[in-house]
Amino acid sequence: MDKKERKETRQTKDTLDMSLFKWRIEADGLELLVQGFKEKKVLGRKCHKCGTVYVPGPSYCRKCLIDIQDVVEVSKKGKIACYTVGLADVRGNPVEEISVSVQVKFDGSDSWMLGNLEIDDWKKVYVGMPAELVLREETNGTLADIVCFRPV
Amino acid sequence: MRNVAIISVGYNDRFVAKRPDVNIPEMIQPAVANALKKTKMKHSDIGVVVEGNMPTFEGINYPHLWFSDHIGAAGKPVLRISTGGTTGMSVFHGGYYCVASGMFDVAMVIGWEKHDEGDAQVGLMGIVLPEAFSLFQFGPDMSGGRGGGMGLLGGGGSTGGASFQALSYLAKAKGTPEHIDKMAAQARANAAKNPYAHLQHPNCTAADIAKTPMVSYPLRYGHTCPASCGACVMLLVAEEKVKKFADTDRVAWVKAVATASSDGTTGNLVDGQITDPAEQAICEKIAAPKAYKLAGIQNPKKEIQMCEVYDGFAHQELMWPEKLHLVDNSCKAIDEGRLAIDGEMPVNPSGGVVSTNAIGASAMVRVAEASLQVMGMAEGGHQVPRRVKNALAHGWGGLFQFVTITIVGDEPVKR
Repeated sequence: MDKKERKETRQTKDTLDMSLFKWRIEADGLELLVQGFKEKKVLGRKCHKCGTVYVPGPSYCRKCLIDIQDVVEVSKKGKIACYTVGLADVRGNPVEEISVSVQVKFDGSDSWMLGNLEIDDWKKVYVGMPAELVLREETNGTLADIVCFRPV
Repeated sequence: MRNVAIISVGYNDRFVAKRPDVNIPEMIQPAVANALKKTKMKHSDIGVVVEGNMPTFEGINYPHLWFSDHIGAAGKPVLRISTGGTTGMSVFHGGYYCVASGMFDVAMVIGWEKHDEGDAQVGLMGIVLPEAFSLFQFGPDMSGGRGGGMGLLGGGGSTGGASFQALSYLAKAKGTPEHIDKMAAQARANAAKNPYAHLQHPNCTAADIAKTPMVSYPLRYGHTCPASCGACVMLLVAEEKVKKFADTDRVAWVKAVATASSDGTTGNLVDGQITDPAEQAICEKIAAPKAYKLAGIQNPKKEIQMCEVYDGFAHQELMWPEKLHLVDNSCKAIDEGRLAIDGEMPVNPSGGVVSTNAIGASAMVRVAEASLQVMGMAEGGHQVPRRVKNALAHGWGGLFQFVTITIVGDEPVKR
């Protein structure tokens, strides 16, 4: 069909009232994690059946589908499991401040945690690179206690 | 279970970015008419209609209530299935089960999307907002995405997750971002041979793709899919009715359908993630073996002549054939030209999702294209030169945690 033949039928503009939405999310494990930050610890949960360690730890094991309560501390150090580098903004324009998002598998954990990596040159990052979690000097039990990940 | 044949495939028109000249019913209706035109069937012969698209992407819930009259579905059972990226193939599976079970002799399945009529992000808000609001409770640092800030959210879309998946895949396959360039170039060049494809780039080269801006390393603009408008319709018929309704001797028989689901794989800061997005065990170890068993296929590399995989991002066109046991190392295979239309294992001769993505239709288009290859009816030069006896279609959805597979062939399975 020729483009000229295509005329717009109708367009409607409106705003969305966000108070219409209601949610409930089980974020018990995140609470455990941020509470651990108060003592500069990284806490997760371990399944008593299969031994899988989750950070942050959900209230149930995703493999065995049973309730889990055992709290374990894992190392702040780990390895970069994968990463990506933000080089453009949402409109596709190149950004001045390049950010490196990493997924780190802490030593002693079976799950990965997202974070930003502080590094001078993003081209130095590789899968398997050792990195550690950096927390603020004074922590108060919020996600804002996380400063970044840094290469070890 | 009865054997089911695909006797016709209909598209509305070439997939494009915008169709402001038509509304949703007007866009879907020609696809229905085109599918029926290639059969000896009338509207009244259709027993059940199964349709689907991404929920609320057009800002409309229950869109089938609007277009039922326009597609001749009034008075018939209409089933709506919406499962994210896998929607098209889940709809197809729904139609297949309607016929295979013996409940209906003929099913019409419709996958569609009209991206210009709404905002995909509005639809995705239902996913991203609960995650964001639950994080607010734990006080993330909002000062520009450091630490646990909003910049880390992978929810609300799979693009962020796909970049992680791409690097994890490349690390495992010992590939480089240049392999993704090559794959994307092949897809866009294949699309130029498919009259219905959206982004057509004749003779596209890896160097052309490498010139496009980097978005989220290692993915460039040239590696990502467009947002397309269009509809795909297929007619499924029970074995004993094929001769009555089919207008061709070569129909595509559904040999196997398989589905597997697991946890969201990337970006879950609330619960911790346990799955490597490039591992895809649900496809490799559950869905694919199940599909091959049902289809009676012992050696997929030999017995399957082509595949259509759901490649929203070009690296997935390399990754999925490996997970489907069709190729050992896709990076090596693309270097040797084995994934081309005339290669050993042609991957996405249609140009794939990376060239055309009307999301609710995309996974169905994979089955449609695989069927057309079996029927020898792929138009415009993208027909695989050697005879296609068996073809595999694949779809993924969510954050890579839904997998659907369909195998079609030129002969029914003896059950």
